[in-house]
Amino acid sequence: MNDDIISTLESFIAVKILKQPNRPVKEDEPLISSGLIDSFNLVDLALFIEDTFGVQIEDTELNVNTFDTLLQLSELIKSRMNI
Amino acid sequence: MTLLQICIFIIISLLTGAFIPKSIRGWFLIILNILAVFWLQPVSPIRHLDFWLPVVGIFLVVLAWFLSNQSCNHRQTWITIGIISGTIVAVSLLRYLDPICCITASRPPSIIQILIFAIPAILIICLINHQFPGNKRFTVIIFLVIVSIFIILKTDIFTYYSSKILRSLSGQDQSLASPLDLGWIGFSYLAFRLLHYLRDNQTGKIPANSLDEFFNYALFFPAYSAGPIERFPNFLKELRKPIENRCMRLWISPHDFYQGSIRIVNGVFKKFVLADTLAIIALNSQNAAQINSTFWAWVILYAYSFRIYFDFSGYTDIAIGLGRYMGVQLPENFASPYLKTNLAMFWNCWHITLAQWFRAYIFNPLTRFMRTAKFNFPAWLIILSAQFSTMILIGLWHGVTLNFAIWGLWHAAGLFFHNRWSDWRKSHHFYWENIQGVNKMLTFISWLITFNYTVLGWVWFALPNPQISGKILGILFGAK
Repeated sequence: MNDDIISTLESFIAVKILKQPNRPVKEDEPLISSGLIDSFNLVDLALFIEDTFGVQIEDTELNVNTFDTLLQLSELIKSRMNI
Repeated sequence: MTLLQICIFIIISLLTGAFIPKSIRGWFLIILNILAVFWLQPVSPIRHLDFWLPVVGIFLVVLAWFLSNQSCNHRQTWITIGIISGTIVAVSLLRYLDPICCITASRPPSIIQILIFAIPAILIICLINHQFPGNKRFTVIIFLVIVSIFIILKTDIFTYYSSKILRSLSGQDQSLASPLDLGWIGFSYLAFRLLHYLRDNQTGKIPANSLDEFFNYALFFPAYSAGPIERFPNFLKELRKPIENRCMRLWISPHDFYQGSIRIVNGVFKKFVLADTLAIIALNSQNAAQINSTFWAWVILYAYSFRIYFDFSGYTDIAIGLGRYMGVQLPENFASPYLKTNLAMFWNCWHITLAQWFRAYIFNPLTRFMRTAKFNFPAWLIILSAQFSTMILIGLWHGVTLNFAIWGLWHAAGLFFHNRWSDWRKSHHFYWENIQGVNKMLTFISWLITFNYTVLGWVWFALPNPQISGKILGILFGAK
């Protein structure tokens, strides 16, 4: 399940945000603190998560303190899905 | 904060961290925070204002908590109210003790005057507690009151007329009114903590908390005058975490003591050695009026850029250090912002907690709204709207002046350009950019542009009006 969430997120980030479908995004790669994803992309990512996994990521949570890597984000999603 | 105030805060924080057990630390901190808030408030020409402004701040904190919490008929709450009231009364009673008068900048008002304020204040709190706890309409009213006070304090014309009103109430000469009369230290940070608490409480994101915990969050003295603006849930975790690795029966852990000391030494050096030295030659309205050399204009501008960084990040280091002494880890506010290679990264590392506040409550909701609206807004328009509204508000947070607004616009334009550029670059790759030397060169050029764009932005921030800023920008680029 964790792998599914991570691969879904990775695909969205590579295709829609980075616009480089072949670019691998490591699960422990910093996304926000490295500048890979900017504030605008973060809102898009939150909307994608809400549509795909049915869990809410609040506007106040879209920052490096809540998650910075795919792994942390998938853990957050899992905790909200009660998995 | 002066060096003397910092030295006394260091001693107090260390003693609190070492000797005050966790079980009573909350209440002890309330007393310390109130005393610090009174002590930090500078003198005002308006009679007793340096006493009343902190009192109003304390009242707003208590009111915000009572409005947001429904089950507050606890003994603990009323003990906290007793400690808060008792400390305020004790501060006012110092007026009768000439040898040690006073902790406030001028002699506090008489006890009768305080009772005239205290009785309606307590009645309002009791009424809200019994009749309207958690009432959304009252919360919106208090929200608007805080925003209104904030706007008044940040706008010269409003502070001028407020000063006239206050002078007339205290029987003083109204013709001497000045916007400088209403210097309310720490209110910018206090207001943003209160707004965050009221807003997040409405959406159910604030964990259950007691009045003493919230009071210590809102008025935590290390962060009171210059931030950082911590989020309440994070502060609560810090406040409640157990103390580990105690040493020699002291409550402070050796690790916290070491880390706190390092940050304080670092902060004092940055603020009182580097920033204060640079201040001698840094750009200001006096030297801006006299300078006519391009070389010296750049020198004073670079001096200002580093002065403001060392000054502000120095204060943050001191605040973080003092917090560590008392077992509270405050968030970072700066992370080498001048070394960043683009403006978006700069804003992830400059005044981090303020930028996060604006992202959470302005940028993200606006972007989300436009992204999910029935009308399909183009991405560039959403970014333009969100960046400009957020950055102009960040500018105006420093003061409602044309120059602060232009400073916000300057950064909004830079962020918008960077966003469009990086979006374009995602789909345009060149073979030569992966050559190591070229890559390093591009990184250096990116840093150089980002740093100097930020430095040029300070011309708007440091000076009082667009005319003098325009003159300095002209001199910087060779105009005579």
